[in-house]
Amino acid sequence: MIIERISIENYLCYYGRNVFELSDGLNVILGENGEGKTKFFEAVEWVFGGDDKHLDNLVSAKKLKEADIAESFSVRVSITVLQYGEKSIISKSFLATKNEDESCATSSLSTEGIEENSSGERSQVDGKKLLDRVFPFQIRKYSMFKGESELDVFKSDDALLNLINLFSDAKHFDKYTSTGEHLRSKAEKAVEDSTKNDKKNERQYNQIEYEIHNLEQEKHKIEVHLASTDKELSKLESNLQDAEKHVDNADALKTINNRIKSIEDQISKLQSNIDENYTTNLFDENWIAVNFEPIHTEFTEKVKKLSKEKRKQQSEFDKQKGIKEGEKKAKAELMNNAIPLPIGIPSKEHMEEMLQDEICKVCNREAKKDSEAYLFMFKRLENYLKSQEIQDAPEKEDERLFKKDYLSSLSYLSHSHEDNLKNLRGVRSKIKDLFEFNRDRKKDIEELKEKLDHERNERERILGNSDLAEDSLASVLKNYTAWQYDLTTRNRERLDYEQVLKGIDAELKTKNKAKDDIDMESANSFLIKTREVLRDIEVIFNETKEKKFDSFIEQLESKSNEIFTEINVDAFTGTIVLKKVKRGNRITVDVELEERGRTFYKPNQSLQTSMYIAILFAISELASEINEEKYPLIFDAPTSSFGENKTSQFLNLLFETGNQKILLIKDFLVTDDSGKLIVKNEFKDIKRDKAFWVKVDRPFDSNDLTTIDTNVISL
Amino acid sequence: MARKDKILQTFLSHELLVSKYNISSEDQLLTIREAMQSDKPIIKALAIIVDGLQQSPPETDNSLRKQVLQFLNETAI
Repeated sequence: MIIERISIENYLCYYGRNVFELSDGLNVILGENGEGKTKFFEAVEWVFGGDDKHLDNLVSAKKLKEADIAESFSVRVSITVLQYGEKSIISKSFLATKNEDESCATSSLSTEGIEENSSGERSQVDGKKLLDRVFPFQIRKYSMFKGESELDVFKSDDALLNLINLFSDAKHFDKYTSTGEHLRSKAEKAVEDSTKNDKKNERQYNQIEYEIHNLEQEKHKIEVHLASTDKELSKLESNLQDAEKHVDNADALKTINNRIKSIEDQISKLQSNIDENYTTNLFDENWIAVNFEPIHTEFTEKVKKLSKEKRKQQSEFDKQKGIKEGEKKAKAELMNNAIPLPIGIPSKEHMEEMLQDEICKVCNREAKKDSEAYLFMFKRLENYLKSQEIQDAPEKEDERLFKKDYLSSLSYLSHSHEDNLKNLRGVRSKIKDLFEFNRDRKKDIEELKEKLDHERNERERILGNSDLAEDSLASVLKNYTAWQYDLTTRNRERLDYEQVLKGIDAELKTKNKAKDDIDMESANSFLIKTREVLRDIEVIFNETKEKKFDSFIEQLESKSNEIFTEINVDAFTGTIVLKKVKRGNRITVDVELEERGRTFYKPNQSLQTSMYIAILFAISELASEINEEKYPLIFDAPTSSFGENKTSQFLNLLFETGNQKILLIKDFLVTDDSGKLIVKNEFKDIKRDKAFWVKVDRPFDSNDLTTIDTNVISL
Repeated sequence: MARKDKILQTFLSHELLVSKYNISSEDQLLTIREAMQSDKPIIKALAIIVDGLQQSPPETDNSLRKQVLQFLNETAI
């Protein structure tokens, strides 16, 4: 089936009737963003089963503005297809009527179908049925792609399987596998019933059946575990591959963070080693006395001098005292060493009495006042009185020259300082050492800080190179290690499950053989032979279907890689691998990109797009080879990630491939010096069967839909 | 060639038929009509099934079973 013509009338930006006469080959529709490419795609999609709600939203604003109040006009999209030499026209339309408030009312939607035979006779048919006949729904689903994201139709487990079933002839063998199973199971049952009629081996037979049943249940359980392990393995591998992109950075980040931590620790240690408590040291460590020695020397000299002076004075004092003592002694010698009367005899009262009486009552002589005797007595009394006074005062002998011994204290202090001098002499070098130590540590810290800055810059660079934040990057390494561990564990589990399965299969084989042996002995031979034939027929049906399926996958893989390589000429591609996967009781087909035998889980957008396009084209080509039928592929902006050069190569490749393709792209348009939008000269070199340019009529106001009228220009 | 003949021939080319039932290369090219006349029970059984399933509407599994069993019984395999 090919689309011959698409007519769009008063549908959104397509004012009036716009016709695209398409070719059975490559049709390229160029258009700037917002000038009608996607509306073209949506118009086709609308006919092929799009949303039928809110019809008033599909009306051309320009047409509505121009219409008179209550005037009706048609909004219609018609698609003319050619299949097996016969034309079919499928149209979707409704009438729009302008209301007084400038809005519009819409009629009910009509889907018309017209069949035209080879002789040109036309007949009206149900449009929906006609569409499903010429372009089945299942195929339409895989024929239209809007943007790159929709190309990823293979994300669903069943998508590729559905496509293969649709396009390969394996689908013709589906019913044989179910019929084969039915016939075989009935034949098995007949044999079993026949065997059970023979009571001889009944117990043994039942036991074997019971064991087979248990083994099959166990086998199913292990198969489910295996499938789930496979899924986990695939997820882990994908995670690991994703993490691998970051793991180098994460590893480098970890190393650098360790280095930064180590440097910070060193700086912190050095800072704690620096002692700058100089004020405390000034007093506690006697730094203040660093210049004390000359003062001490001066002090010592002075103390020595004072000491000498003191000794001199003491000596003089002692000498004078000695002289006095000597005088006393000499005086005594002069009195012939006669012993004088004590000074208090006669007593004071006797003396005063004698003076008063003017008589010496010792020698009984008159002693007139002022006489020698009187004066003698008077002097004697005076001496006595004087002696009494002297007795109260301290003894002259006890008199000391220096009442306080300050000099001893000073001398002691001097000696004591002398002892401390040894320590004080070390203070200067201690201060010097400490200053030097602190200076050196500060220098070390400066050097470390420089290193730290360097490491921090390096860390910034690593983080700048990564599209992950620091926390996420740090967790990558943790996850990576955990995933690697899980991968090893799951692989080991997988091996274990496979081993168990092998064992179960071997045991099942033995049990079935034992069961067959009893059947041979007990059951009706016709039933046994029938079962044998039907068992073989089931094997033939299953294996033939599998072979057809595998063969299609093989062809599809080969064709996809052929196209894939051509799209990505001179660039890295890897290999598309289609893997048949058993998930429980279901078979699905997974698409993978492999790079040197290893699955490449997250290819870039361009590679991924080209991979999906390659598979879709391959399916389309194989379908037309196998089924002798072909269907168009319609893509809206499928190559946004390609770049113009790759798009050119891609278009030239498409031209070479068979089947109809309609591509809507925004490449090859440029604004010239005068501000006019033109098609680039390079487009002339692009091989295509038909080309159109959808372009909004100038001038227009991008904010006013009533000024928008997309023209279709054939190039 | 009709699709049902193509399908039958696909089955007839299975290696099990060659190894176990000694199907010759000529047998592998039989049409449904020719296979129905075959003296090899498995070929005829296959032909009955393919013919039945390719009909519109296709025969039911039970109906096919009856036909196959009847045929096998008649040929006294």
